[in-house]
Amino acid sequence: MTQNNRERLRQAQAAAAKQQRLNRIIGVGAGVLVVVLIGVFIGVLVQNQSHQAATSAAAVTPPNATSDGKAIVISPGVTKQGAPVVELFFDYQCPYCKLLETTYGGTLTSLAASGDIELHYRTMSFLDASLNNDASLRAGIAATCADTVGKYSEFHNEIYTEQPETEGEGYSDTALRDSIPAALGIIGNDLTTFQSCYDKQSTKGFVTTMGDLGIQDLQSINNQVSTPTVHVNGKDLPVSDIGQVQPDGLLDLIKQHA
Amino acid sequence: MSDSAAASPSRRLWPEWVTLAARLVLGVVVLVAGLLKVTQLDASIQSVRLYQILPWDVAAYVGTALPIIEIATGLLLITGTFTRISAVVGSLLMLAFIIGIASVWARGISIDCGCFSPGAAVDAGQTQYPLEILRDTGLLLCGVWTVCRPRSPFAVDNWLFAPVTELADHPESTTAEDKEPTR
Repeated sequence: MTQNNRERLRQAQAAAAKQQRLNRIIGVGAGVLVVVLIGVFIGVLVQNQSHQAATSAAAVTPPNATSDGKAIVISPGVTKQGAPVVELFFDYQCPYCKLLETTYGGTLTSLAASGDIELHYRTMSFLDASLNNDASLRAGIAATCADTVGKYSEFHNEIYTEQPETEGEGYSDTALRDSIPAALGIIGNDLTTFQSCYDKQSTKGFVTTMGDLGIQDLQSINNQVSTPTVHVNGKDLPVSDIGQVQPDGLLDLIKQHA
Repeated sequence: MSDSAAASPSRRLWPEWVTLAARLVLGVVVLVAGLLKVTQLDASIQSVRLYQILPWDVAAYVGTALPIIEIATGLLLITGTFTRISAVVGSLLMLAFIIGIASVWARGISIDCGCFSPGAAVDAGQTQYPLEILRDTGLLLCGVWTVCRPRSPFAVDNWLFAPVTELADHPESTTAEDKEPTR
């Protein structure tokens, strides 16, 4: 009898120990799952929040932006009737974009100023993802903030002047916020407006959307996202073709592709 | 007797040390990858979109969830918690990355700065693809090894899945317990 009782007691103890083990495993497993789910939830929440902040009262749309939010127009209002629309897709951290800018940027902006082309600058910030920084985005924010004080084109050029030798080093806040405006003679009220815009990242939403729309258009038209890319009237003008002509032959090339 | 007893468990142990190394390597890489991305979810979403595999809106969810899943998987692997399941997730992540890179490579898409003069300049993106695939394949092997042999020292699992031990005054039932699968 006592033997039987002891056996029963032992079995009960064994069952309890097993149950305890099971509870431990389930408890830790559920804990891990809950933490991961909370993490995902917070991630989505933060993501929505930052998008809401970007479209909130502090948000600024650059004055020379196109109504569809895809681009900034250079020298708007002087374009001749029937002039081709030239879209330049670029990323401020891309060395070849700098090369294109140094060689043909001046020609493009003067063609825009004379009204021979309608020039759209489409800022991308996709290199941030591969270079693991946020320099493209911040440079884009700085340039569009400069548009609010009427210095977009100049600021755009100056950013490339400051581009680091090594791709991936990025742009410092000091360069974007202080040195470049100083070099361009942005002072007084304009400087305050510009810096407050940059500090609040007021154009972040605009720049992010501009980059998304750029990726969409490049994926549908070029079937690949790379910069620099030039579109004339919505069709690709291969950058290698541009490389074949001198800057003074650029207008003819654009007209051929229009 | 005591010699052979000491020798056999140590011979049995070496795969466990390999598992420890494998799960630590995979865990640290995955954790760091997740940490780098989690502060820049916009960039994470964009990089998913650049692969042009997932639909535009789906990429947003994947881009947001991916860094968090990576961090969780990394921490679980490093601590050795639910090692086998975590290693399965880690291996699947690596497999997805390899497929993504291979598909982008095959389609000739360069996820980098474009080519100003094709042929003349070496496209940085193109040359990196084989290296990236090689790296991820190595990590995948770490994962597969850990899936096959999830037991390792210094793992939370050793406490979590510890076999039920009987009270000390019932040695006969302890031997019965040994036959039970411990995992």
